Order: sequence, then C-alpha cells, then structure tokens
Amino acid sequence: METDSQKQNEKPHQSNNSTDLQIMKRDCLNKETTSRLSLLTKFHAGYFRISFALCGQALLWKTLRELSTDARALRPFVHILPSTAFILLWSLAFLSFLTLCLLYIARCLTRFESVRAEFQHHVGMNYLFAPWIAGLLLLQSTPFLGPPNRAYILLWWILSLPIIALDIKIYGQWFTRGKKFLSMVANPTSHLSVIGNLVATRAAAEMGGKEIALCLFSLGMVHYVVLFVTLYQRFLGSNSLPVMLRPVFFLFFAAPSMASLAWRSIVSSFDTACKMLFFLSLFLFASLVSRPTLFKRSMRKFSVAWWAYSFPLTVLALAATEYAQENE
Amino acid sequence: METEIIYSPSRQAEEIPSLLSTVQSRVVGFDVIHTPSSENSISQVPENRSATENLTPEHSKFYHHERTTSISMPSSPSMLYLQEQGTNPSIPNGTPPISYFGLPPRKSNEEKFDPNKKARFHSHPMGSNQKSSNTVEGFDGLATQHKLRRSDGLRDNRYDPFKTWSGKLERQISNLRRKPLELPENVYSETPQTARVPKVDRFFDALEGPELDRLKEFEELVLPEDKKWPFLLRFPVSTFGICLGMSSQAILWKTLATSPPVEFLHVPLLVNLVLWCISISVLAIMAVIYLFKIIFYFEAVRREYHHPIRVNFFFAPWIACLFLAIGLPPGIAQNLPQFLWYILMTPFLCLELKIYGQWMSGGQRRLSKVANSTNHLSVVGNFVGALLGASMGLKEGPLFFYAVGMAHYIVLFVTLYQRLPTNETLPKELHPVFFLFVAAPSVACMAWAKISGEFGFGSRIAYFIALFLYASLAVRINFFRGFRFSLTWWAYTFPMTGAAIATVRYCIEVSTVFTKSLSVVLSLISTLIVAVLLVSTMIHAWVLQDLFPNDISIAITHHLPKSRTQDVDVTDVELGDSEESK
Repeated sequence: METDSQKQNEKPHQSNNSTDLQIMKRDCLNKETTSRLSLLTKFHAGYFRISFALCGQALLWKTLRELSTDARALRPFVHILPSTAFILLWSLAFLSFLTLCLLYIARCLTRFESVRAEFQHHVGMNYLFAPWIAGLLLLQSTPFLGPPNRAYILLWWILSLPIIALDIKIYGQWFTRGKKFLSMVANPTSHLSVIGNLVATRAAAEMGGKEIALCLFSLGMVHYVVLFVTLYQRFLGSNSLPVMLRPVFFLFFAAPSMASLAWRSIVSSFDTACKMLFFLSLFLFASLVSRPTLFKRSMRKFSVAWWAYSFPLTVLALAATEYAQENE
Repeated sequence: METEIIYSPSRQAEEIPSLLSTVQSRVVGFDVIHTPSSENSISQVPENRSATENLTPEHSKFYHHERTTSISMPSSPSMLYLQEQGTNPSIPNGTPPISYFGLPPRKSNEEKFDPNKKARFHSHPMGSNQKSSNTVEGFDGLATQHKLRRSDGLRDNRYDPFKTWSGKLERQISNLRRKPLELPENVYSETPQTARVPKVDRFFDALEGPELDRLKEFEELVLPEDKKWPFLLRFPVSTFGICLGMSSQAILWKTLATSPPVEFLHVPLLVNLVLWCISISVLAIMAVIYLFKIIFYFEAVRREYHHPIRVNFFFAPWIACLFLAIGLPPGIAQNLPQFLWYILMTPFLCLELKIYGQWMSGGQRRLSKVANSTNHLSVVGNFVGALLGASMGLKEGPLFFYAVGMAHYIVLFVTLYQRLPTNETLPKELHPVFFLFVAAPSVACMAWAKISGEFGFGSRIAYFIALFLYASLAVRINFFRGFRFSLTWWAYTFPMTGAAIATVRYCIEVSTVFTKSLSVVLSLISTLIVAVLLVSTMIHAWVLQDLFPNDISIAITHHLPKSRTQDVDVTDVELGDSEESK
C-alpha cells in the first residue's frame, strides 16, 4: 500500500490521484459491494513479483531435478525433490500467474486511467515486462511441455512478441524522449527490461532458435552495459527510488546471472564469458548483502516489494548450479 | 542531548572566575558545574585518573564548546597567548574571560563540530588533584589550561581530537606505564552514533586542486596552521605510492632481464634483486608507521578514509604487496604457494566491496559526484590480482577479479570521460594524476594474456588502448609543468612502468625493431622519472626538510567558518545517508 500510494504521489496526473482517492472513499462506505473494487485499486503491477518468485522457483526445481548425474556433488539434490512436490509448485506458480493476469486485466478494464498513469511512472513502466517474463519462466519450467512441441513454440512467440515491442518502445524512449531520458528514469527496476530479453533468449535457445536467441541477447546486453554504467553513476542519487522499494536493488545481480544462463544456453557450455558474468553477479550479491543498512528501512513493514528478494536469488542459484555442473 | 559538564580545570588552587560561573548558568540552563566545590562533589573519581588526564578538559574544550555562540570574545590575544604557550605551559594567572572563551570567533562556531564524537558524550568524573577528566568540548579555557598545566602536560593537546579515543589511548598507555594497577575507565562509554567526520560535500567545498589538497580561501583548519603537526599526523596514506612506484620498477627490471626480445640489453637480474629489497623494506617501514598512525591517530585515519581522493590510496599497500609478489626475484623463490594469493586478495576484496557498494548505493558518495582519476587505483588492483593469480596457476579466482575489475572499469571510464557537470574533482588542467588512466588497460592486457595463455586479441586491444592513452598524454607534456612536488606523484609513476612492461610483453609476441625500440624507450622514460622523483624526494627530505607538510586535507572544519555567512549543508537531507555505511 505504501508503495502504491507513494507511486501515486509521484504520478504526473493529479486527476488519477483524486480519482482513486474518491474511489477509496466510496469503498470505505460500502465495504461489501466494493470490496473487489478496492482490491483492484490497491492492485498494481508490482504484485507480479509474486509470480516471478514462484515461477523462478519452479524453474530452479526443474533444473535441479534434471541435473546430469555427472555432477557428483549435486547428485544428492537430484533425488531429494520428489516429482509431486515439483508439480505442486508448478501448479501454484501457474495459478498465481493466472490470478494475477486476470486481476490485472480486470484492472485495465475498470481503471484504465490509473493503469496508464502507473506506466508513465519510471518504476511502473518496467513492470510492463512482468507478465511476459513470468509467462516465459513458467513455460520453461513446464513439466509436460518440452521444447520440440509446437505448442511450446507458439506460446514462446505469444509471450516474446510483446517483449520485443516493449523493447522498441522503452529503449527508444531512453535516448529520444526528453522526459524519459535514461539518466532521468534509470533505477534498479530498469533491469527488468534487460532480464526480459535474457529470459526470452534462454527460452529461444532451448527450443533451437539460435539466431533469435542471439539477437535478443545482444539487444539485452548492449542495454545492460548502458544501464549498468548509468546506475552506478547514480546521477539522481537516492531520489529515484522510494525507500519501500529498496528490495529491488537485488535486481542488480539478477541481470548478470540471467545473462550468464542465457549465454550458456546459446553456446551450450559454461565458458569463460558465462563465468565472468556469474562472478560479477556473485560480487554484486556480496556487495549488497554486506550492506544491511540499505534495506533496513524497507524491512519495517511488510510490503509486496519483499517478494523482489526472491527472483534474483533464484536466478543466482540457477547460475551457480550451472557453474557447479560445468566444473565437475 | 548531550549533557556536558563544562568546567574549568579543576585545580584546587584555581578559582573559577565569577564571570564564568554566572555566564555559564545563565546561558546554558543545564548542569554546568564549574566550581571546584561542586566539581569535587560530583567527582566519583576513580583512582586511575592519572595526572595526565588533566589534559582532557583542555583539549576537549579546545575543540568543542557548545555555548560560545552567545558570547563572542576577542580572539587574537588568546590565540597569541596560545602560541606563546606552545607545549610548555607555565602556571600563570591568566585573564579568565578571554582565555575561557579564548578562541577566535571562527572556532566559536564549532559547536557542532567534534571530530571525535566520543569526546562529546563522555563525562568523566572530575579528579581532584588536577584530575579533571571530562569531555567538555570547547576551545574555551585552553589558554587557562595551558597556563595551569603542570609539567606532566608537555603534550600539546590540540591534536587530541585526531587521536584515537581523543587521546585517551595515549593516556592509557602512559597510565599503564606509571600505574599498572589502574583500570581503564569508561573508554567505551562514548561511542558516537554517527561519526563526526566532514561530509563529502565539505571536502569539495573546502579544498581544491586535482588532489584536493589545497585549502580554498576563507577556509580554516581545526589544527594550528603555523605549527608543525606531529609526524604521524603529517604522514598521509598516499605515501604508499612510493611503494607502488618502487615495486613496479622491480617488476620492470625483472621483465627486462628475463624477456628474450630485450636480451640484447644484457640487464642483470641483480637490479631486480636490489630494487625488490628496497621496495619491501620501504613497504615494511611505511606499514609500521601507518600502523602507529592507526593506533594513535585513528580519527585522522578515519578522516583520510572519508576524503574522496585519499580513500583510493587505501588500496595502495595491497597493490604494492601484489606487485612485490609478481616481481619476486627468481633467486629468492621460484614459485609462491597458492594460499598466499588468497591471503593477499582477501583484504583487497573487503575494501572493494565497501567502496564499490558506496558507488552503487551511497547517498553522498555516488560516483557521479566523486568520480576522479584516482579511482583508477581501486580498479587496477583487480587486474593486478588477476595477473598474479594467473601466473601462480590459479584459474577461477583470477577470472573472478578480472570480471569484477572489467565491469567497474567500464563504469569508471565512461563516467570520467563524460566529465559530468556534477563531477567536481576532475582538474580542469592537466595533472600527473591523468597518467592513472594508462594503468588499468596495461595491467588488464597482461592479466588477460596470462589467464588465456596467449597474447590474443583481447590483450592486444587492451594494450593498444593503453598505448593510445599514453601517447595522448605524452604529447601534452607541456601542460604538465609548474606543479608542486608531492609524495603522491610516486603513485603516478607505476602506470608508465606498467605500460613499459606491457610493451615488453607485446614485444615477445610481435618482435620487430619498432616494438623493441619502443620497449626500450618506455622503460627508459619510466626509470628516468622514478630516478628524478627519488632525487626530489631526497632533496625534500634532507635539504628542504618539507617532505611531510601539514596534512591540511584532513583538518578541514565541519562547517564554513562564521566569517562566511552562507548556509552550510550539514543536515542529512539525502535519503540514503542514514543507510549509507561509511
């Protein structure tokens, strides 16, 4: 709530603020009938972090189960995860994804103004990628649908085309549109656009589309370099992110881990570039973890932003698994 | 809210001037006890308060006083008086009003200033016989203190805020020497919540110059400007640049002696041995001196750490250790054990986790603001570590540091090239510090050659970048004139040596007359410069005797002096400040 209200406070459209406030006032009067309406008001794209986390976990469990038995150290892990637990997790992830998508569609239909305002916000606009990334993660971790399957390819295209379209829109804005220059809007959630490209890369490489994979990978990496430098410079200082959203700093090391995984799926082995990206990710993780005061203020009250911790850690674990496998 | 107890020195023979007592109680409103009687009444003096502790009020008063803003007194007589007193105060009967508020008006605004906040919270009970323990801040009464000091107090207390625990450690040690039974008293009681070190903005406001070592006009120092400070206070961390310069020379001569293409020079390995021995002894001596500085002048060290330029020199000792390991003469040891690499890199890793984290998430220390050429020192160490590890045969560790170094080097390089308007530290004119640009690519090229086993395209690209930067700086040699010599210049020699070493390495791959002559020329240049620096250092050390001038960069005030009436930025307005770990 705090995040949402903070976001609303920073919206350029004051009218939406008042609209939502009016709605909320009405909600307070009629609790029962408008309970669902108030839910839609409170709901925002940041809730997709939940499905990120769950889908990421499903992918991790699937990867752990399918480890090649050459990895001696990891062999115990291969057998401790029963398949039923995995299926349950996948179903949970799928259900959460579906629910969130439906809720968000409902929000689009009923509160289109607030949706639009949300996406004009420099944090909210990155969460446009959120449903598609979650969908791709879910697709990759599907137990019953493998890459050669036509349904898989179809679903991949359905989920990736929006990502490509969003790339063109948002990356173009970075250097052409005055108010939305990268130096003004850069914040850790901007990594989501890069991660979207990289997730699509990995899914594409696994289904055999090497050229598409390479194309998306180069797109993601080029913008990652630019984003990395800009974020490190911290031109805006601390003003770019509200305190409650500090957990999204973890996205700093999600991007190189995902890049490492994506490159590995392109070249089919964990070569030097993958290792270097993984080490960079490890270093950034250590750097963030050794600064607990950075997150102290955001940990005072529960918020959906806490879910932002999970996905990056999952991706790091995935990359570490691949690294361990390679080193065996 | 601090409840300081302000009092004049509790000499039983001394009487508190009536002016003081009335003024104090009127002005302050809280417990101001400065009559000898009340002093004694409140004193639960532990016996361990030694005679040297009577110095506490003097120096603590010297540096901080909460209440002087309401009263302004002429300063110069007492300042003059102080200077006359020097370190050998007699026991006078001074002019209490002047001496109590005896500081120049500028100092009277140091109420919030307390370089060692420990002094602020501490409230010692007062001793009876000259045992006036307390952390009253304030410049007040310094003259009085000086006057009243016994012969024990030959120390100059003005430097105490820069000492560890505001001088208490020193007293503890002298305690231990005199009265072994005394227990330390409340030395941990006054841990400050926030370190009272000037913020980054303050450093930029008060200092100027490419190394931020020159004081701007209207700025003042908290330490006396005309006296020579204690040696340890004058010993900056940038002196470790000497080790960098010497040890990189050792590596150069080792490379020259052992590389096939330059065998025509017939360089003996003895040169490497001699240079290496000199380097290791210099490093050892400096490490010991700096260790003493950490022990005795921890606050000064902390201020150096917060200086935006000096912080990078904290990497210098570790890089020097790595250089020494790389330049190890074959006569001493052929192969170093692998665990040594881990030992050498661990402190380096911790330091860089801290510094890079500050770049990423720090409120006031973000890169767009503090980026400067000296930051290259923080990045180049990664490549040096990778080079050493790869030459020891390690695989993953060097790759780790190479990746981290490369990523952060790209960030730094772009930032410096952008010369953002928010960036104030890059000098508008050329300065030897720019040579640090050459360091990272040249070492990266050698490191990558060692990691990948061959001098491939990656290494060559890095080498050519280094060469280009070197050439573009060398042709501007005219603009490098007219600078004051300082010890930090030693740190700028190692990039040139590094470029020479990389050229020799390149020469092994591409052995033409041009490359050979280039390697010889570059080696000669770097050796010549080091020799010139060595001679200058000797001259300054023994002839001119000003090798270690007063280190003014660490002695700036927290606020602008009162003479400047502008508002000063001392509140923590930035969101990230409270979370920023120092």
